[in-house]
Amino acid sequence: MITFGIVQFFAALIGVIIGIIFGALPGMTATMAVVVFLPLTYAYDLSTSLYLLLGLYVGGISGGLIPAILINIPGTPSSITTGFDGYPMAKRGEGVRALRIGITASLVGGIISLIVLAFFTPVLARFAIKFSAVEKFLVILFAMTVIAALSRGNMTKGIFSGFLGVLISLIGIFPDNQMMRMVPKIFADQLRDGFQLLPVLIGLFAFSQMFEQAENGMKDTFVEEDVLKGKQTRKFSFKDLKGQSINLIRSSLIGTFIGVLPGVGGSAASLMSYSQCKAWSKHPEKLGTGQVEGLVASEAANNGLTGGALVPLLSLGIPGDSTTAALVGAFMLQGVQVGPLFISQNPKLWYTILFALLLCNILMFIVMFYPIKYLANIIKVPMSKLYPAVVLMSVVGAFSARNGNMFDVVTLIVFGVIGYLFGKIGLPSTTFLIGFILGRDLEKYFVDSLKGSGGSLLVFFQRPMGLVIWGLIIIFLIYAFFDNRRARKQNSAAA
Amino acid sequence: MFDLFKIKIVYSKSHWVMPKIIIGVLIILGIIILIQESMKAKRENRPLFNFKGKRFFVENYDKLKLFGSIALLIIYIYAMKFLGFIFGSIIVISLFNILYSPKKDKKSILICIAISVIETLILWFVFGYLFEITLP
Repeated sequence: MITFGIVQFFAALIGVIIGIIFGALPGMTATMAVVVFLPLTYAYDLSTSLYLLLGLYVGGISGGLIPAILINIPGTPSSITTGFDGYPMAKRGEGVRALRIGITASLVGGIISLIVLAFFTPVLARFAIKFSAVEKFLVILFAMTVIAALSRGNMTKGIFSGFLGVLISLIGIFPDNQMMRMVPKIFADQLRDGFQLLPVLIGLFAFSQMFEQAENGMKDTFVEEDVLKGKQTRKFSFKDLKGQSINLIRSSLIGTFIGVLPGVGGSAASLMSYSQCKAWSKHPEKLGTGQVEGLVASEAANNGLTGGALVPLLSLGIPGDSTTAALVGAFMLQGVQVGPLFISQNPKLWYTILFALLLCNILMFIVMFYPIKYLANIIKVPMSKLYPAVVLMSVVGAFSARNGNMFDVVTLIVFGVIGYLFGKIGLPSTTFLIGFILGRDLEKYFVDSLKGSGGSLLVFFQRPMGLVIWGLIIIFLIYAFFDNRRARKQNSAAA
Repeated sequence: MFDLFKIKIVYSKSHWVMPKIIIGVLIILGIIILIQESMKAKRENRPLFNFKGKRFFVENYDKLKLFGSIALLIIYIYAMKFLGFIFGSIIVISLFNILYSPKKDKKSILICIAISVIETLILWFVFGYLFEITLP
């Protein structure tokens, strides 16, 4: 029923280990790990590749807790709140304990989100099969609203960035009438099919990060003190998690839910979970001083993200975060369509994904839990030696995506610079990417809907299901408006 | 009145329907952002475009490493074209390693070159030979 063997096992193991390294290095992310290794999957079939990629994903998200706890710098954006309580614990000499609590919470988060993924995706997909072009268009529009709604204090820029992504995706030929648009004459050959997803992805998420690190002088190491060197005052025991079960489940579900919302990254998941933990805590004032509950909330939530982000991808074809957007690349390269029909058309692949995710979570736990004392040295790996390797793999990846096309390498560099500039002017790259991925579909469903209605825009308001989606869009916009105002007020109060 | 809610899809021009709408949306959003920024500027009593004291790059940014990276990437394209994948990569990746390396003495430069040679050969072997993937 599933694809599994020794090759797949090692693919998952290697994925998890490399993912942990990427996750643990501040300045490298889980998304980067997945995009850089995408080319390695050309040679394998999709299911084997997914073991590797899901391993990178789970490992990448989990590895972020190591530097967050040990040096108070999150290794990935999703571990942003882990250091709040993890670092004070490490300073008290409870570093290993904190790491092991974080790892265990990560495992629980991953498993709970996996359960949600397994049960929720088929339901959503069955529902979505009935969608006509009108609903499909509205769902994408809804996804883009959600993205914008959750870019707190930055809503207009979020929407702008998403639509810019849509516009860029439309460059090239329109399949309906085979006409070219927005292509300068000199690039008519190269841009026939527009910009390719893979070089855009690698550029936005690997090269832009590299430029940023280069600007900061490419620090060789972030480690100034070795907190694990001192005597450990308190050891980890599973009893530490006693009384945390509600917190664990709540945080995992929050993470999963945030993951389901398209385009919302891990940092939002852990931030929301942490603030909920504070709201429910018996001693909210103690949070931030090294409390187990804060650490659990952060780590359960960010691993909860993994399964959650796959829900909209596998049921609607809409990626839940930047890393799952990179997975779209893998599916596309192998010619597998993700969307409502995915599960019914690829049942074997679907069960393989579930199993692979379970395996990767367990492997992550085994690889991290026991040797954590030695593994903690990962954060000393010099970034200056890793980035050149990233360049090499990225260039090979971009070049070979279409069987050897130097223009794709140019695309890679151009989008690296664009991503870097986005960071400078505060446009979120993730929303741009999701707009870019969904842009062509958005256009197709829009034009198809209008063709069916003879051009009347009223078609978007006539079907009951469509009205429900409109309702959701409006709810999110109202929520976004108020949340945005609150965030701005908080920001100006803080400033 | 319903004509307001109509967009005519003409086959020969249908490829411009969506781009035009999106460009329209982007212009509107751009104006909104501009208004928001200028309102914020007014509240804080400062001119809208205040470049004084603002910097594009971080303070004391590493010019050599930042622009060096971009330049090396462009050189890389030409290097692969004229020298082929293996030699082009070894040279450019060595330069990348040397550029990023904090120490620039003879020993660390040799290490950088050694790393690059090994990485390039491994990648060439895995991709080009084992997987038979086209390399530059």
